[in-house]
Amino acid sequence: MRIKTFRICILFLWIFSLSLFGQQNKIEFQEFDLENGLHVILHEDNSSPIVAINITYHVGSKNEQPNRTGFAHFFEHLMFEGSEYVERGEFHDYIQNAGGVNNAETSFDYTMYYEILPSNQLELGLWLESERLMHLRIDSAGVETQRNVVKEERRQTFDNQPYGSILEEVFSNSFTHHPYRWVPIGNIQYIDQAKLEEFIEFHEHFYVPENAVLVIAGDFEYSHARKLVEAYFGDIPNGGHEIYRPDVTEAVPSEEIRKNVYDNIQLPAVFTAYRMPGMGDPDTYALEMLQTLLAGGQSSRIYKSVVDNQQLAVEAGAIPFDLEDAGLFIVYGFANMGVPLEDIEAALDEEILKVVEKGLTEREFQKLANQTENDFISQNTTMSGISTNLADYYTFFGDPELINTEIEKYLAVTPEDIVAVAKKYLVPENRVVLHYLPKEQQQ
Amino acid sequence: MKYRQILLFVFAFIPIILSAQIDRSKAPEAGPAPDIKVGEYNSFELKNGLKVFVVENHKIPRVSYSLILNIDPFTEGDSNGYSAITGDLLGTATTTRTKDQIDEEVDFIGASLSSSSGSVYGASLKKHNDKLLELMSDVLLNPIFNQDELDKIKKQTISNLAASKTDPSSISAVVKDALMYGKDHPYGEVVTEATVESITLEMCEQYYSTYFKPNIAYLAIVGDVNLKEAKKLTKKYFGKWVAGVVPSHTYPVPVVPESVHVSVVDRPHAVQSVIKVAHPVTFTVGMEDYVHGRVMNLMLGGSVARLDQNLRETHAYTYGVNSSLSQDKWIGNFSVTTDVRNEVTDSAVYQILYELNRIRTETASTKEVEKIKNYMSGNFALALEQPGTVARFALNIALYNLPEDYYANYLKRISEVTPESIQSAAQKYIKPENCHIVVVGKADEFADKLAAFSPTSTIDYYDAEGTWIDPAEMKAELPAGLTAEKVVEKYLAAIGGRSVLESIKDISIKMKMEVQGMSLDSEVLRKAPDKFLMSMSMDGNIMQLTSFDGSIGKTTGMQGEQVMEGDDLEAMKVQSAFMPELNYSGLGYAIKLQSIEKNEGSDAYKVEITDPLGEVSFAYYDIESGYLVREEQTQETPNGPSFQSTNMSDYREVGGIMYPHKMVIGMGPQTITGITTSVEFNTGIEDSVFQK
Repeated sequence: MRIKTFRICILFLWIFSLSLFGQQNKIEFQEFDLENGLHVILHEDNSSPIVAINITYHVGSKNEQPNRTGFAHFFEHLMFEGSEYVERGEFHDYIQNAGGVNNAETSFDYTMYYEILPSNQLELGLWLESERLMHLRIDSAGVETQRNVVKEERRQTFDNQPYGSILEEVFSNSFTHHPYRWVPIGNIQYIDQAKLEEFIEFHEHFYVPENAVLVIAGDFEYSHARKLVEAYFGDIPNGGHEIYRPDVTEAVPSEEIRKNVYDNIQLPAVFTAYRMPGMGDPDTYALEMLQTLLAGGQSSRIYKSVVDNQQLAVEAGAIPFDLEDAGLFIVYGFANMGVPLEDIEAALDEEILKVVEKGLTEREFQKLANQTENDFISQNTTMSGISTNLADYYTFFGDPELINTEIEKYLAVTPEDIVAVAKKYLVPENRVVLHYLPKEQQQ
Repeated sequence: MKYRQILLFVFAFIPIILSAQIDRSKAPEAGPAPDIKVGEYNSFELKNGLKVFVVENHKIPRVSYSLILNIDPFTEGDSNGYSAITGDLLGTATTTRTKDQIDEEVDFIGASLSSSSGSVYGASLKKHNDKLLELMSDVLLNPIFNQDELDKIKKQTISNLAASKTDPSSISAVVKDALMYGKDHPYGEVVTEATVESITLEMCEQYYSTYFKPNIAYLAIVGDVNLKEAKKLTKKYFGKWVAGVVPSHTYPVPVVPESVHVSVVDRPHAVQSVIKVAHPVTFTVGMEDYVHGRVMNLMLGGSVARLDQNLRETHAYTYGVNSSLSQDKWIGNFSVTTDVRNEVTDSAVYQILYELNRIRTETASTKEVEKIKNYMSGNFALALEQPGTVARFALNIALYNLPEDYYANYLKRISEVTPESIQSAAQKYIKPENCHIVVVGKADEFADKLAAFSPTSTIDYYDAEGTWIDPAEMKAELPAGLTAEKVVEKYLAAIGGRSVLESIKDISIKMKMEVQGMSLDSEVLRKAPDKFLMSMSMDGNIMQLTSFDGSIGKTTGMQGEQVMEGDDLEAMKVQSAFMPELNYSGLGYAIKLQSIEKNEGSDAYKVEITDPLGEVSFAYYDIESGYLVREEQTQETPNGPSFQSTNMSDYREVGGIMYPHKMVIGMGPQTITGITTSVEFNTGIEDSVFQK
């Protein structure tokens, strides 16, 4: 009885402090749709004379065909090759000349492009982004160069890195039907096989206004920015077709999969990937809180036990991999010298079992809430951070207001929910266990 | 305030004009340049000498505290790594808290708290500020160093060292620093398992008590705090910290190598080479041409700059390449880094050196320079979004004795850069003739080509810890139980298999030979068991003919016909044996496995072959393919012994048999290249052919 009252008291305090805080930090924005279906979100903040432009296309590696993996990412490279009015190689020149920075990123679910510019160059950024949506030039010269560049990217980030194959191993073993079974970098051979027309078709299909969200954050005035967006993006015709989205339901795993991977490494490592639901499922919030309990900070369960006290691992923790259709909750440990992986795996399992059997204390639960609050508040400190978050919330939840309110979903999670998701998802039959071992140990 | 309103008023009308005017065919004009203000900071000093900077930023209710100690770099010798480990030990216990308590209390308020050999950093939401400072101050001022925590950290450090030995970029960074600064300089010293093992608790306590003093410390407070609060808080939490004398250190300034020095760390499984071209350089913020040097470096190796255009966009050697011209109070460095696929390693080095030379010898166009200046000015403005930037400026002004308005004038300094000033900065700070080329990768695939960059055509090999390796010790060990017979058998299997080879009764080979610019045609016929004929011709005219029909050997040339006798005839008999490999022991040969040697970058088994006459030669069989790749023989000539080698490559299948289509014969200084144009088996050559 007393405990319950105490908790309500604490809960009340949080809500109070949060609402106080909310007033200080609420991120205001305006949003509208162009006639062609492009969704636009504007966040005005005049404290620094800069502007961040983010355009996120709702296409990632999961929208690829199995015999054309790596396409979405390859396309990210092609988008810098020029357009009708921007010559090859000039894209970066324009941005540099304006004193800005830019880059792009491809994931399983999205492809995102951004520029950060001095605020007097907003129009330039909009011109460049609208050009490559409207008039992208796709020719064999660009394709050939980028083919080789992407091959080097793969070598550098996957093949020549210790543990570089981890993402590929985890996903290819965790999914058998869903396109998440391949990773965004894809297979080089498919890029080599692809014909020029296929790249053009890919652009025509996925790079259409109704499949994108444009976010501008920073030093501008709302009506001015809106006029500019209408001028540069308004004339772009919409695709008018249904966008291909894989409709694959991956069956719930029924038995544990185990595999040894031999790599050029010194320290063996264990990676355990549990299947979890897709973004937005209420269970994902509980799973993220569970991740903080297990691996958030030096007092977290796994760090304290496996790294600090038992000294089995140099590094151990958990990462929830939130994806649109289905995610993975990865628990891992890198062995200390001479420690067998079996011991680490047992210790990691033990920590999960403890959550399931004994739950968590009041103080631990409050710690989780404090950590979550700190992370949530700290994520929106820059214009580029805010623009990326707004784009994500719109693309995957259809609700950019979550940038202010998503914290409520975390705080709605109860200790019982955390135990329940541990019990439901972190079980052997729902996982893939990979043991990374030095090549010398291969028989 | 009024000004702002007028501005808004004006802006409100602009869009209407704009929307009517857009012209997609060219880039829009920039609006009027915004006013770039370098944010303000306040500073004060506590009585104990702690210098504090405060940068207010009330956007989010968060405050960070970054404490930095200004310690001269010094060497740690046989126990290298103890200062870093002291940094890790801070926070493991205090006079009133255990490690578990510290960890729990920090996490409970959702804060972060970390420490290193020369810094402590803490950050939290404003509402937890007092608690955070209480913890930070406790960790900094009242630490206790325990043996079991030290052992734990040592164990983890050693494990991490093992892991970094497989990471090519870590290896290249360690080796580059060791070469550039020397292993006896604080920046070039290498941390190894042995140095970590020897670290004691006393060393850590000594380091802490000597160097953690407020009079050499700077504290930057950034975030939702005002000056008054900051003064009160720092006094409360850091006021009792006691000042003390801290030793200073100086070292000879590292210099560039006298000429290009090529170094390789071999990683036999690598699929990419990590290349670094680097040398030390005296370059410090505040130097007269500091900004010119920075603009120059950006033009050379910033994102989408010259190196990237060349290596990535033109040649597609790499995913990315960059250069850095790093400033340092003691000694800076210039460095180019890239990862490229094995086979273009030398080409990539060539292009890097080309660009280093070009920026020194050619004056850049104004257009290119203006672009970089714009980029740098813009980035300066972008960085100001982060309040931490202003704190960093404040710290630099203090550490490097810069004028107070140094950063306020930074944009003006950038505007003063010209193509000429860039070129002179390049000549001063970039030394392509005095650099280290360090490559971590699969040495087999590039080592011989890389040697060409060294004026002495030499490569030095290093291990992952930057220790020089004697080439004599680099040979691989022979596997136990392997014999020459097994190597030869593997060779026979690799080129087609015993049964196929035994079914062959004669061979006809035609080759084109290149000797000192002359082109010769050669034809060789062989027939079992020991018939041999070789003709050399030029433009269809036979120059020389050698034949052996099983009993009589002849040579016919410009000097007329000679019939072989004595030793020559005996030698001819042996050399005419048809595929002796199929039956070495039966024919009276002795073979012996000697060692594993490098041949054109690949490992090969070296086999000693003694023929029935006692003549010794050597054959090299590639470990991977099994093929015969080289033969060596020393022959007695009237002018003394003459060493002859034949390298065989380009194995291609002909009638079920793999045959080498390229031969390179070395005889003293002379090289003869032979390309096989046709090979035929079992054409039924008549015996009479060999009686010419």
